[in-house]
Order: sequence, then structure tokens, then C-alpha cells
Amino acid sequence: MGRLIKYRWQYLLILPAVVLLFLFNYIPMAGIQIAFRDFRIGQSIWTSPWVGFENFSFLHDDQFWIIVRNTLYISVLKFIFGFPAPILLALMINELRHSGFKRFVQSVSYLPHFFSWIVVAYILQSFLTLDGGLVNDLIVKMGGEPIFFLGSEEWFRPMVVSSALWKEVGWNSILYLAAITTIDPQLYEAARVEGAGKLAQIRHITIPGIMPTITIVLILNIPSLIAAGMDQIYPLMNPANMQVADVLDTYVLRSGLQQGYFGMATAVGLISSVIALLLVVMTNQLSRKLTGEGLW
Amino acid sequence: MTISTTEKIGQAVIVFLLLLLCVSVIYPFLYMLAISLNDGADAAKGGVYLWPRQFTWINYEIVLGNEVIRHSYLITIARTIVGTFLGLLVTLAAAFGLSYRMLPLRKAILTYVLITMLFNGGLVPYYIQLYNLGLVNTFWVYIIPNMFSVWNMFVMLKFIQGIPDAVVESAELDGANPVRILFQIIVPLSKPMLAALGLFTAVFHWNDWFAGAFYVTDQSLIPVQTFLQQMLNASDLSVIFGSNTNQEALARGAQAKNVTLMSIKMAVVMVSALPILCVYPFLQKYFVKGVLIGSVKG
Repeated sequence: MGRLIKYRWQYLLILPAVVLLFLFNYIPMAGIQIAFRDFRIGQSIWTSPWVGFENFSFLHDDQFWIIVRNTLYISVLKFIFGFPAPILLALMINELRHSGFKRFVQSVSYLPHFFSWIVVAYILQSFLTLDGGLVNDLIVKMGGEPIFFLGSEEWFRPMVVSSALWKEVGWNSILYLAAITTIDPQLYEAARVEGAGKLAQIRHITIPGIMPTITIVLILNIPSLIAAGMDQIYPLMNPANMQVADVLDTYVLRSGLQQGYFGMATAVGLISSVIALLLVVMTNQLSRKLTGEGLW
Repeated sequence: MTISTTEKIGQAVIVFLLLLLCVSVIYPFLYMLAISLNDGADAAKGGVYLWPRQFTWINYEIVLGNEVIRHSYLITIARTIVGTFLGLLVTLAAAFGLSYRMLPLRKAILTYVLITMLFNGGLVPYYIQLYNLGLVNTFWVYIIPNMFSVWNMFVMLKFIQGIPDAVVESAELDGANPVRILFQIIVPLSKPMLAALGLFTAVFHWNDWFAGAFYVTDQSLIPVQTFLQQMLNASDLSVIFGSNTNQEALARGAQAKNVTLMSIKMAVVMVSALPILCVYPFLQKYFVKGVLIGSVKG
């Protein structure tokens, strides 16, 4: 007890954070029981009637499985393109000889990270619109038929994946560039003496040198395989592309916050939280095996 | 040492590809700027790529004369300032408190914090909690739930643990309590770290459209990004004209008739993006530092 009093100031400093986590993280965790209750807004989450697994009836709904497929499709595509691209970019930037140009490329490539997905949606709209948008303008000039990209099912995924790449590739290359600078320059010197060309140097020195960073980033990215990126998708979604654009997060948003099916939306959210947790735990095992160190 | 021809070609290819990347980043903003400074009806015919063909300020006059936009700007500025200040304060206080290794229950508190990184209740229970706390439809829904950041706390904790113990101990001998040590010693020593994390927090507040779109229904509380989000799928100009105070601009009928939804949209998005474009070159190095502070395993 004496020790607790001795540290009273420290507890006072920590207290606001503990209270905030309790209010905005732990109580919502307890709120998961809504998935098994018939809850209406204004009622208590503790007293509304239990309904068992009634709220999980969406599992028999084909639409739900289309949404699961959409989510995995987008997140896996984003991973396939988004994971190697920053590594390639860092390797290319590292090869630049002119340091002024190098700094310029870095600064410019980080820039899109600081704009919201809403701004990105506007950029896409301005380029792809049917009235005077640059892309359709050029298509028509070359004798083609204009394409309604923004309301098309087949163009939705390429649009999402490429804009995600555009926004984050530069920013995600920072870690790799930092890792490259820690590689001992003498290794390159020795390789040159041995007559190794640029590509051989990249393959045998640079890539092994940044391998620990690559592993960590890979591990940290695995849990995001269940998240397609609602911030990005919601602004681009419309009735015309809904069939491929609707993902788990947007489904929760629509059925829960907009239509008031709190029980069902919580149940969907619970399923994706559990999958995310499993991915994190698996990742941690993987990390222990690969690097000898867990994330926690 | 001679440079072989293949290496020269390789270098040229890399320079070309990276230039292409830079163009792909910069050009969209030049393009949107050109459209926003061009007569709307004329731009819709296509062909405005880099430079306005029929120059006009009308789009900006209409946008800046709009009461809703001006107000949403104030909301964004207010939440960015208040949110960043309180966010750093609460998070730093917790990090400093937890930096005392001898603190009883320290492990338990750290676990309590870590669990929230692994699991969450999901959107709907979170929303219900915001509702029950009476935060829905208030300005504070932007601030209070975001005051503590687990990620930033761990970055700060690592940074503070890097400060030599002797510095804190000598202040303790002088009889300073931890709150005073925090503000008089830790804060001045942590300036670069606070600058970096403060910038990230500020960017989050500036760019967040979600809270404004779903936790707030009162139009007078929405931030710029939410206004942009609402306008993204607007089908006509009523959003803009409905609440316009710049009657003078509207009165110039001939010009206003040519205003299109797209030209107005481009003006709005430029107005929201310009502050970031302007401060970015000066603050860029702090951002990069911020990522690296957070990532170095140690």
C-alpha cells in the first residue's frame, strides 16, 4: 500500500489513458453480446432479450459470401501489389547518383500519404469522369468508346488497387531506405573488387541486408488481409459497382449504423474481429519461428 | 573505375521510371487546379489538361462564399488544434507514468493497454457506447475518443526510456514531483519526438471524414473532409448554392450559368488540399523522423 501511495503521481498521469481505454475499448468489447441479443438503440446492452444465434442468420445468405469474397479479393490483390512495390522503389531510389534528385523523388513519393482517401476519390473522379475527364477524352481522341470507369464492376478492383499503390508506395519505402543506409559500404566495395555488377550487388548485398525489415513488414501486414480498407472503398462505392465493391466493413456500416440492424452488424463485426485476432496470433507464431522474436 | 554501358542504361531506365512516378503524383493536382480555374461548361468539353483555357475565379468565389464550407473549415481547424494538443498531452502523461520501471502493477497496466491493440468490439458496439456517453452529435466526438493513442504511447515510452535516468533522478532529489518533471524536463527533451507524433496526429484530424459522416448528423458540426465526402456523390449543385452568401458572385448570371458540378468540386478539393501542399515541403523531414522513431526495434 505504501508503494502505491509513493507512486500516486504516476498513477494520476496514467489514469486518463486507463479510463479512456475502458470507455472506448473495453465497454465496446462487452457490447459484443449485442450479437446475441435483440438490441434497440436506447436500451441497455445488458438487459435486452437474448436471441441465441438468430443474428447470425446472414451466414445462410449468399450475399454475405459475395461480400466475404469481395473483401478477400481486394485485400489479397492489394497485398500482392502493395507489398513488393515499396521494396522495388527503395532499391531504385538507392541507385540514384544525384543526391538532390534523390531527395526530390523521396519527398514527392511520400506526398500522397498525407491526403485523405476522399481527396484520392476526387482525383479519380476528375480523371475518369465522362464529361471532359482526361482519360475518356484521350480514349475518344484515339477513336475508342468512352468507359464509365466509376460505375463499372470490372474496373473497380484495378481502380482501388492502383490508387492504394499510388498513395502508399512512397511512404512504405521509407523503412526499406532506412534499412539500406545501415548496410556497410565496405561490402559493396569488396563486391566491386570481385567484379560484381550492379544487379549482383543488389541480389547478394542489398536484399540480404534489408531482409530483416522485409520480414517484419510482412508479418505486420498479415492481419490486414481481412481488412480491405473501408476508408478508401466507401467513397468509391455506388449502386453500379456495389456487387464487387461491398466488403465486410461497408456491410457492417450500412446494416448497423445506417439501417439499424445492430445485432446482425455486431455479429458480422465479431466474425471479422475473431479472424483478425487469429491472423495476429498466427503471425506472432510465425514471427517467433522466423526471427526468434514475437511481437509481444 | 569505368561505368559499363549496361549500367548507364540501367541508370537511365531508373531515372525515367522515377520521373514518371513524380509526374503521377504532381500532375493530378495541376490538372485539378486547371479545371478549377477554368469555365465549367468549357472544361466539360474536354481538352483542359494543364492550363485553364477560359480562365475564371468564379468557382473559387462561389466555394469561398459558401457559409457551410467556411464553417466546416473552422470545425476542421478547431478539432486539429484541440485534438492534437489533448492527444499529445494524455498520451505523453501515460507514457511518462509507465516509464517508471519500479511502478507497482506496471506489467498489468501494459497488458491492459496491449490487449486493445489485438481485439476490439467492432464498429456497432463502439457507436452505441458513443451514443450512451452522449458524444454523438457533439464536437467532442472528434476529440475525446482519440485522446489516447496506444501506438504513440509505445513510441513515446521507448523514447523516454532512452533519456538517462540520472536526469530524472537529480530532479527528484531537488524535490520535484513527477508532474513537474514531466513538463520541465521530459517535454523539452522530447521536442523532436513530440513534433513528429504531433504532426501525425494533426494529419489524422485534418483528414478524418468518418466521424463527421457517421457520428454527427448536425450539418454545423461537420469538418471539411466530411463535406467533401457528401459532395463526392452529389448529383447537382444544391449542396453549394443552397447556402450561399456570396450573392454577388451568383448574380453574375452569365458566368454562374456555366458553373458545373465538376468545376465546383475541383475548387473545393483544391481548397482542402492546399494547406497540406503548402506546409508539406517544410515539415516533411519531421514526418520521416517520426516513422523511423516508431520503427527502430530496440
